[in-house]
Amino acid sequence: MSTIIEQPRHGCALSAQQTVLAIPRAMPIVHAGPGCASKSFGFAATGAGFQGEGYAGGSHISSTNTGEQEVIFGGESSLDKEIKGALQILDGDMFVVLTGCTSDIVGDDSQSIAEKYAAEGYPVVGTETAGFKGNSYYGHEIVIKAIIEQFVGKVIPKVRRGLVNVFATVPFQDPFWRGDLEEIKRILTKIGLEVNILFGNESAGVSEWQDIPNAQFNLLVSPSTGTEVVKLLEEKYQTPYLQYPILPVGGAETSRFLREISVFAGLSAVRTEKVIKEEEKRFYDYLVSVSDFIGEYWNNLPIDLYTVGDSIYAPGVSSFLVNELGLEPKGIYLTDEPKEDWQTVITDALAERDTRLKTSLVFENDGGSVEADIRQKSDRTRHSIILGSSWEKFLALDIGSLYAYLSLPLDETVILNNSYVGYNGGLRLIEEVYSAVFKCRPATARSIY
Amino acid sequence: MKEKINLDMPEVQPREQRLGTIIAWDGDIDELHRQSDFIGRAGCDRNAACKLCELRGPFSQGSVCSEQMVECQAGNVRDAVLIQHAPIGCGAGQVPYNSIYRNGLAMRGHKVENIRIINTNLSEDDVVFGAADKLRMAIDDAWTRYKPKAIFIATSCATGIIGEDVDSIAREKQEELNIPVIPMACEGFRSKHWSTGFDATQHGILRQIVNNHPHKQEDLVNVINLWGSDVFTPMLANLNLRVNYVIDLASVDDLARMSEAAATVGFCYTLSSYLAAALEEHFGVPEVKAPMPYGFAGTDAWLRELARITHREELAEKYIKAEHARVHPRIAELKKKLKGVKGYVATGSAYSHGLIQVLRELEVKVNGSLVFHHDPVYDSGDEQEDSLGHLLKHYGNVENFHVSNRQQYQLYAFLQKVHPDFMLIRHNGLAPLASRLGIPAAPLGDEHIAIGYQGIINLGETILDILARKKYHDSIKKHVTLPYTDWWLKQEDAYILAR
Repeated sequence: MSTIIEQPRHGCALSAQQTVLAIPRAMPIVHAGPGCASKSFGFAATGAGFQGEGYAGGSHISSTNTGEQEVIFGGESSLDKEIKGALQILDGDMFVVLTGCTSDIVGDDSQSIAEKYAAEGYPVVGTETAGFKGNSYYGHEIVIKAIIEQFVGKVIPKVRRGLVNVFATVPFQDPFWRGDLEEIKRILTKIGLEVNILFGNESAGVSEWQDIPNAQFNLLVSPSTGTEVVKLLEEKYQTPYLQYPILPVGGAETSRFLREISVFAGLSAVRTEKVIKEEEKRFYDYLVSVSDFIGEYWNNLPIDLYTVGDSIYAPGVSSFLVNELGLEPKGIYLTDEPKEDWQTVITDALAERDTRLKTSLVFENDGGSVEADIRQKSDRTRHSIILGSSWEKFLALDIGSLYAYLSLPLDETVILNNSYVGYNGGLRLIEEVYSAVFKCRPATARSIY
Repeated sequence: MKEKINLDMPEVQPREQRLGTIIAWDGDIDELHRQSDFIGRAGCDRNAACKLCELRGPFSQGSVCSEQMVECQAGNVRDAVLIQHAPIGCGAGQVPYNSIYRNGLAMRGHKVENIRIINTNLSEDDVVFGAADKLRMAIDDAWTRYKPKAIFIATSCATGIIGEDVDSIAREKQEELNIPVIPMACEGFRSKHWSTGFDATQHGILRQIVNNHPHKQEDLVNVINLWGSDVFTPMLANLNLRVNYVIDLASVDDLARMSEAAATVGFCYTLSSYLAAALEEHFGVPEVKAPMPYGFAGTDAWLRELARITHREELAEKYIKAEHARVHPRIAELKKKLKGVKGYVATGSAYSHGLIQVLRELEVKVNGSLVFHHDPVYDSGDEQEDSLGHLLKHYGNVENFHVSNRQQYQLYAFLQKVHPDFMLIRHNGLAPLASRLGIPAAPLGDEHIAIGYQGIINLGETILDILARKKYHDSIKKHVTLPYTDWWLKQEDAYILAR
């Protein structure tokens, strides 16, 4: 990984304001410089296919907008007033304080101020998310852990069999998070689980978070971010967890995903197999129907595959495209700076699915280096596709590759209810990859009927 | 009253110190103009006895920082590189500014390419031990990757507080690479208003890029703007003048030759105040001190002053006459179509003054406006630049005039009072609230849209376009819940917590 970063793919820890906003009726209170909230929003929401401010995001976000006064004399009283004002003006169910570089360097005791309000019975949580402490994936974990520690708190779990908490992609950093979580909840519900999806439209909001300790188990669909969360829950509420290290995309992987969960949760194998049979029939009916197109346009289809995204999303998508659509992996660039032990989980999961996936794996946070590497590897004589961000679109147009959208930043498309996860997401991905043939340049050499 | 611009200091003086800038105020234009006392340079921070006082309350919503303005100016210089000496969160701004840059390059007919900004991705260790070597390395990387003609360095809150010595590293690297390496002090906390970021970029360029030994070009005019479409080239061609657009989308050479020009103009004193005044004071390039080029009165006066300085009075009169005749029939039609329509303007300070003038030329009713900040005076101190005074004198009062630095919760209360049919917005972020209230809004991405005589027509047509989308806004309004408590939504006074 590089020291410097060009063409960034994530924000800093404070970007986890978006994690807060992904919980229905939860609100961030930013204690930082005047640009922090709007930059984070611009990148992670506008830059995720114009997802918009939602209920309380964008320029609704409360922020102390720290100035010279707060830097010289400390910003604790500003934060105190800001929280008081927010509770009076904003209509929310939970308020999460996120601090920035200014307050964390000058040493404001922001945590104590948040605790003061919590002690008075207000739903206020404190976190320290200065940009230099880590990236938005790190911030996501910090925020979830703080909500569990301070808002859910010490309770005696009343375990309900069949109840699962899902920790998967990072909202907004995954531009398709809304659709992805809906699909995960759909398939898990179908095999008989009750699902706390925690973020987005399918979540009941803070009451669902308060239900976290009662789950039979936690499901982590990630090789990296989220690991600390399920470990905390195991320690705090003795809830066991299942880590599924790769995002299930398409027929084969999603069926495997459901079977492993079913066994772990002790669900009825008969019911699970029935669901899988139904879903696979539908999925492969669609897949088979695209074969006419493939026959017709075989000489336009991409062969070489480049994927640029985070360690939660890019491996699953790459594995599907390689294993079910037959693309040749040339470069899988993971940009989210996963820790070393997480890197091992990622590498093992990919190696098990196809050794070529492992050998094409690159951990790189600098978009400039990713671009240089793809330029160096790319072979204009072969058809290729790059799945990535808007940065990759510009690169693809320059080197004559096809492209499809996968990761942040995406500011040249509109994303509402899209997803590449599960059976439905796999179908959608096939549409994207094959439609790229027509979207990126004129397609030629049709055979004659 | 003029105050000297000091280019010897490495850091620009923030606006509130130079100009007495405020970011919260409530009243009407008449009162604001009186309190501002353009000639006397009133201001909240300047005098012990405050003449123009801020109404700042305990609660605020996220605003914008100076560093973002540096990104959108220094980051948009075509053959330079901008280094953000900052944690990666500050780099998040690269995405929107790249989009703006690419769009601007396309509009001006340049080769479309990515923005060149490098972030030093500061970590906790860097904040504890300093990151001087990281900055040196980033400068080397910038050089290896792009061979730029200049390297800008933007500081951040983190480097500002730990006291990173960016200036000496820049000096050291400038000698080594033999190109300007320009530090810009733009920490978000340094100024309460982000327009100081414009000044920080301009200060650095004035100190290190502008040519000190210019060969004067009597037909060259500096136009200080952003990334807007090219309206000035054809306009000034009528006066046999050539345009040197700065700072966005300019090359480093374009910036260097600012001192060769015969005059400097702007479209918004918020943006151009510092650079134009300093070019006159330190490089002898006269600044066109006139009302801004909006509406007939403003544009006439602006063109005449430019013509006077460049000795092209006859050409100007001919052009003015021809343009009046050309645009009058279409404006008459637009007035008919816009009859009874009420507008609201929410933009930066001086820009709002200009837009209200154009709306009133179109006989659109404007009884309210929000500006993100207010400068009681501009750097030249010349009364000809009193844009608020010009608006008041030629177009009358605006009864509900608020200074509110992108505070959505206040905007709600403002709009309840004036009930506009549409809004004009600069800097998005406010448009969604308008939509949620069923008010169509046009964020003016191209800042040149309303300039000059043609600008009156352009703006009229834009308003008709956005009014046509009213149904979409109505359907949003039906399905929206605002994130404010009932108590707040009932407040008529948006500044109640500040009083």
